[in-house]
Amino acid sequence: MKKVLSMLLVLALAIGMLAGCKKTVDVADNAGTPQGGTSTNQGSTNTGSTDTGKTDTKPADTSRPDTHVVLKMYLEGSNVTDDKAVLEKVNAYLDEKLNCELQPIWGTWGDFDQGAVLSLQGAEDVDIYFTCSWTLNEYNQFARDGYYVRLDNPDNDLIHKYGQDILNLLPEVLIKGSTIEGADGYGIYAVNGYKDIACQNCWDVNVDLLKKYGYTIEDIEKADYYSFGDILAKVKAGEGENFYPLLIEGAVLERMVDNSIIVAGDSGSNNLLSYYINPTKTSEQGAYGNKILNKFATDEFKKFCEKTREYYLAGYIDPDMANPEKANDTRSNKQLTGQYLIGTQSYSLGYEIQASTERGFEVAMVPTTPAYVDTTSSQGAMMAISTASKNPERAMMFLNLLNTDAYLFTLLDFGVEGIHYNLNEIGEVEFTDERSNYMPWTNGLGNVTLLPPQKGQGADFQEKFKAYYGNADEIPILGFTFNPENVENEFGALANVAAEYFLPLCTGAVDPSEKIPEFLAKLEANGMQKVVDEANNQLSNFLAAQGK
Amino acid sequence: MSREKTKRNRLQSVSIPTEIIFHIIVGGFALACIIPFIFVIIISFSSEESIRLIGYSFKPLKWSTEAYGFVLQMGSQLWRSYFNSFLVSIVGTVTSVLMCILYAYALFRRDFKYRKFFMFFAFFTMLFGGGLAPTYMVCKQMLGLSDNYAALIVPALVNPFFIIIMRTFLQTSVPEELIEAAAIDGSGEYNTLFRIIIPISKPGIATVSLLTMINYWNDWFLTMLYVRDSSKFPLQYLLMKVQNQVDFLIKNSSVIGVEASKILQDLPGTSLRMSLVVFIVVPIACAYPFFQRYIISGLTIGSVKG
Amino acid sequence: MNAQRGVKRNNVKKNLMLLTMVAPVAIWLILLRYIPMAGIVIAFKKYKVYTADPSLINNIVHSKWVGLGNFKFLFTSSDTLLVLRNTVGYNLLWIALGVVISVSFAIMLNEITSRFVAKTYQTMMFFPFFISWVVVSYFVMSLLDPTSGLIVKQQIANSGEATNWYHEYKPWPVILTICNLWKNMGYQTILYLAAITGIDKSQYEAASIDGASKAQQIWYVTIPNLRKMIIILLIMDVGKIFNSDFGLFFSVPQNSGTIFRTTQVLDTYVYRALMNSQNIGMSTAASLFQNTVGFILIMITNTVIRRIDPESSLF
Repeated sequence: MKKVLSMLLVLALAIGMLAGCKKTVDVADNAGTPQGGTSTNQGSTNTGSTDTGKTDTKPADTSRPDTHVVLKMYLEGSNVTDDKAVLEKVNAYLDEKLNCELQPIWGTWGDFDQGAVLSLQGAEDVDIYFTCSWTLNEYNQFARDGYYVRLDNPDNDLIHKYGQDILNLLPEVLIKGSTIEGADGYGIYAVNGYKDIACQNCWDVNVDLLKKYGYTIEDIEKADYYSFGDILAKVKAGEGENFYPLLIEGAVLERMVDNSIIVAGDSGSNNLLSYYINPTKTSEQGAYGNKILNKFATDEFKKFCEKTREYYLAGYIDPDMANPEKANDTRSNKQLTGQYLIGTQSYSLGYEIQASTERGFEVAMVPTTPAYVDTTSSQGAMMAISTASKNPERAMMFLNLLNTDAYLFTLLDFGVEGIHYNLNEIGEVEFTDERSNYMPWTNGLGNVTLLPPQKGQGADFQEKFKAYYGNADEIPILGFTFNPENVENEFGALANVAAEYFLPLCTGAVDPSEKIPEFLAKLEANGMQKVVDEANNQLSNFLAAQGK
Repeated sequence: MSREKTKRNRLQSVSIPTEIIFHIIVGGFALACIIPFIFVIIISFSSEESIRLIGYSFKPLKWSTEAYGFVLQMGSQLWRSYFNSFLVSIVGTVTSVLMCILYAYALFRRDFKYRKFFMFFAFFTMLFGGGLAPTYMVCKQMLGLSDNYAALIVPALVNPFFIIIMRTFLQTSVPEELIEAAAIDGSGEYNTLFRIIIPISKPGIATVSLLTMINYWNDWFLTMLYVRDSSKFPLQYLLMKVQNQVDFLIKNSSVIGVEASKILQDLPGTSLRMSLVVFIVVPIACAYPFFQRYIISGLTIGSVKG
Repeated sequence: MNAQRGVKRNNVKKNLMLLTMVAPVAIWLILLRYIPMAGIVIAFKKYKVYTADPSLINNIVHSKWVGLGNFKFLFTSSDTLLVLRNTVGYNLLWIALGVVISVSFAIMLNEITSRFVAKTYQTMMFFPFFISWVVVSYFVMSLLDPTSGLIVKQQIANSGEATNWYHEYKPWPVILTICNLWKNMGYQTILYLAAITGIDKSQYEAASIDGASKAQQIWYVTIPNLRKMIIILLIMDVGKIFNSDFGLFFSVPQNSGTIFRTTQVLDTYVYRALMNSQNIGMSTAASLFQNTVGFILIMITNTVIRRIDPESSLF
């Protein structure tokens, strides 16, 4: 053991020394760079507005700064193998406009989470990160932990100085959704992408099959989940033992039927916390008012589970749907091959047309609520500036340009006209084969309303898009985000409990009369009440601050 | 000490009925080991349509070579990745095993003064590590392991487990007298190691080499962390990239919404992923007999060379 | 005696030579293991960014101490005992089975007369090593799937009723054990086989001259020679008693909640608890806890072994 101790001592010393060295290097580094940073700062302030007060109505400062900088941007969901042609044009344009150069890091669905989080934790010199409510560098938490620059920080107020154009262009709901309590106080920590920001759950109906059994789409519209039984029974009997008419995603089905929604900040833990919306008028309070509930203890939940169990036992629901790893595969396979009657689907504009072509039969979408915007959906895709960025001003200028300049946005997303795509006579985009080497994720880039329509969407697509999403109602607690910091230990245990019971109950795979009491007891034993109380406490503070 | 070569013969072996039982047990297990791989091959030759309709099955509705066509279509990227995998595996294994032998030999020498310290020094890191973020920062910022082949080799060079295994091999196969005899002859340490020890430790070295090589061959995590340049991707990463994307989208489908299913449909199907598994396993399975020669053949010709 | 005197004379030189041999690995360990080890303090801190000048070191230095707070979540769950029981239980069972089975396999392979057949078996036994747990889970599912699984279909053909495998926790200890043995036996067997191959053949000759039967030779020559390897592997396994193969416990049971009772282990518990929070402090704490327990167990085991059989101990 003496050896161990002496070794540890030596080790600690070694680390201390090395850490010391590293630190001095850091200091030296920083002594160099901020000068550059400050000069940029001064340069831009001089050429721009001289008053330091709020410049709400003035256009963003878009004059070309004096120093040349490189901006690194970490993106999600890319499928890019050759970006040379695009970057050449992008950088020529950026050089002229902002005297800067863009170096995108093309993260993919598989590596973004790990890569971006490590890069953030290690404070690498990446300026802009994709962030949202569902990646690992989750917006609310990472803003709280100080990874992102507060854009409307009174000291420098980046967004009003350099990003006013964005504020003018984005729907108000988006700004509301991104204004949160972060490390630097209550403010905006990222620029929202303007994409399909509203949420609307639908019954995805196989119309061809429905008609085969003498029903029409009106029969589905009139009915609700609890009265699907007859239709399901008839189709099941007609299609045979291996046909499962209900093609559901357990968690989504539960939310659709009970009108509960995810509370932001709790998106991945099998959503323990629920807020109930008003299914007919989403801007007003639902049946439970502005309260957060343990939904598993509600009567709705019990009733829902019992019905689902009944459907499951009758053979309306594929047992695979209770298998979290396989459900999605099976679901998309059955959708494509039409082996279902009614499915669950979260909607995006024009999806029924796209789905009908893809699947080769008529698909209809029957919404269960009007489209609405909640915190989670408004935070679906965002761009944050890292606190480790040496050039936050320039990064903000770049984001401003990207989100307001149709040329730049189209170039970065669709590629170069003539190489990656061509425009047809009505101005729709038709992609070439080159596109397969350059496919960023459109919704992850920002303001998609700047794009020309794609083939088949029609020339007026963006107007329809803006009308649909821009006019969606906001729910009463839009902007509220739960902060689990005070109940972290409980949260970890509860996430495990929910993973154990939630999906099997929502798909009918287990008997609710036995499992719900067990589930509730276990939630209680692991501090569910404390979490719900904490959430309601935070919610009432939030509402009070909003003056509601 | 006997130095004559001896040949095994029937007389020295177990009885025939016993050997038949051995065949049944070991052979049965070996068969069980290969069945899932056959399963992989079958899926890789199933048509996507069949998978969609009846799932993964030993008897697909329709056979298809579509997946292989698709992989071969990747053309230059595929061969490039093969090249990278071989390069990284070979350079990595040679360097790693050499370092391992040197270290293990010193630990094996009971008269090495700091033997216990260095044993502990290596062993301790098997259990405790600083975690991903600090290691990543050290590799990337201090050592410059980013977007180069070194990034795929250096972080996996040392495996304390293999060092300990190697030392144990040396302990089992090298008689103490041999070292003493060498010392009397005035042989230097390096000379003793390379001229005397290594030739008689081939089974152990071959085993550790094999395991090290497989580690390099199978690795994709280092690529994910440190390499973004697709011209340096090894084969395994091509597969894992797709697999990770699918896993991620499935996990988050309910949050991402319609788009997730759209994207999932564009990603390569299961049969394609399985055909990549075949592409990965076959070359290393071919390299296997090379190592095996040393691991098994020593059994037939028992010889100790002085 | 002569030899020893000779060695002594060259003691300094010899040790220097040996030091140059350990140097490459030692330097690597310092750079890639010991320096990053400073990061362990994150386990006792609430990791936040030091916004004035963010860097990993600054962030760590300026984060608040929270004592053992990050460890709490491991012990506050009502399932803690169950999780620990599963983790340790599976590990103990598999350590025992692993030693017995892989040593037997190695001996049997060694006794098979046809070298070609032995090599073929041994090659086949290595295939599982290349197949990831995700792929294994596809395979298991093709047997157990409630609608299309081969075993399920067989059950229905036989009795009209099938087990609901992914919602029935009782069979899982067996399924997981089979999967684990299937995947790891080839690896362990090859280690023992190589150790057998390395045994000095004169020992067998001496034994056979003394008239020892084959069984006696195995018992008195092979097994004692494997002793060191068995003990070393055991010590290593004991150190990992709180760790588990994540892919096995997560992918193979299809992440199915209803069978957590027999499939939840510490690694999966921590993963599910921290899945969405990216709390680097808590995840560092979890692995520090696992490793500290492992370390203590190894030190104890090693001390015990050193008393009984100093030759075989780790250090």
